[in-house]
Amino acid sequence: MRRTPVYIICSPRPLVGKTLIARLLSEFLLLKNGTVAAFDINLKEPSLLEYLPAITETAQIDNTFGKMALMDRVIVNDGIAKVIDLGFHAFDEFFKMSEEIGFLKEAARRGIAPVILFVADADRVSVRGHLMLTQQIPATALITVDNEFVVRGELPAAMDRGRVMRIAALPVFLKTYVSRLTFSFTDYLRSENDSSTELHQWIRRNYFSFREIEMNLILLGS
Amino acid sequence: MAKPVVIVVGADKGGVGKTTVSRTLLDYFSANNVPTRAFDTESPRGTLKRFHPGITEIVDMTTTSDQMKIFDTLNSASPSVTVIDVRAGLMSPALASLRDIGFLDAAKSGQITFAVFHILGPSIASLDEIAETANFMQGAKYFLVKNFINNTSFFEWDQATYNAYFHRIKDATELTIPKLNEMAFEQVEVASVPFLKFVANKGVHDETENYSFVLRGYVRHWLANVWSEFDRIKLTDLVGGGGGKSGARGGEK
Repeated sequence: MRRTPVYIICSPRPLVGKTLIARLLSEFLLLKNGTVAAFDINLKEPSLLEYLPAITETAQIDNTFGKMALMDRVIVNDGIAKVIDLGFHAFDEFFKMSEEIGFLKEAARRGIAPVILFVADADRVSVRGHLMLTQQIPATALITVDNEFVVRGELPAAMDRGRVMRIAALPVFLKTYVSRLTFSFTDYLRSENDSSTELHQWIRRNYFSFREIEMNLILLGS
Repeated sequence: MAKPVVIVVGADKGGVGKTTVSRTLLDYFSANNVPTRAFDTESPRGTLKRFHPGITEIVDMTTTSDQMKIFDTLNSASPSVTVIDVRAGLMSPALASLRDIGFLDAAKSGQITFAVFHILGPSIASLDEIAETANFMQGAKYFLVKNFINNTSFFEWDQATYNAYFHRIKDATELTIPKLNEMAFEQVEVASVPFLKFVANKGVHDETENYSFVLRGYVRHWLANVWSEFDRIKLTDLVGGGGGKSGARGGEK
């Protein structure tokens, strides 16, 4: 039986592009598989729920009941890919819980493939967060996202050693364009006749990166 | 014939977690293949028996007949390890009875291995019991168990008070039982199974259950920490057991 992927998009820093990546990934999975389940654990940042209300539910992990409601859903091998947009405020608590309850071991037992997409920033909080993850998460399951709009220049050396996914910076006017609540990446690909536009290329490049991640999961699972 | 081992788990205060600690002990011995029997002194209904019905008998420690049931069978009983979960308020009277029947002398002379797990609560009244209990402990292993059922610190922030209670008794060993997530604890209560079975997602009759993965994880993590404490005090050496199957243990490393 194929493994069900669970993508956790996270950073201990706000406003690094987690929700943008969660949107991209959710739309990619929806396009490819026809279905996806997204979970929005955000208090104050732009919210995935607002962009993709049809496939997103809110979740909270500040109490046991919330943790159960989220993790008992996520640990099910039902073939439906899961995307968790993990707000910066919940970063520490989520991974502390994950370690305590043995999430990775249980995931392996049940045929779930967690993939941690850590959205990098150059500051100390981000570096510490990444270090914590490298100690907890196997290298094959941890991908550092280099969002060039946030990390101006090179990634800190420690973050550059493992798997890295680069997201090119969009010009400000395009960033504003895609930030509209009604904007859909897939709809844009379908409706834009000119495939040479910068945005078209950007979306396809990122979709291709996600496809590579998926292929890697299949190879690891076989 | 193995030397009989008697472990008393008690406190003179109620609600400090005696039965919880007894349950962790029974799970620990089970995982280490140490055959054990248990006596639940919460007569008539019992509390420990609900979780370990196959090895637990409910007794009334205030009656001679039930005292005979426990102590007259020590040398002939198999299993050789006996855990007694003593009702709140009965620990000092129970130890006094043991003294009076010569049991403590037998322990002092090495005929029996005797250990007391004194469960402490975060109150001065509870800590005051230590000195009283220590009077009975010659020849016995005395364990002071700090059971963190809430966010207490057992006066660790006040070194003078802490030292006055915890470091005054020579040969007393401290044990720390960390706090278990409340919802996880309650789910195990509802399930009425040993902690080990809950972690294994099994019901009373070993049927597969559907307990929350999160709560099972919390119990597993907690039990591993508790068992680390039992490992630290070399509990299996104390009882002269341990079949060496630590790989089958439900706790995590």
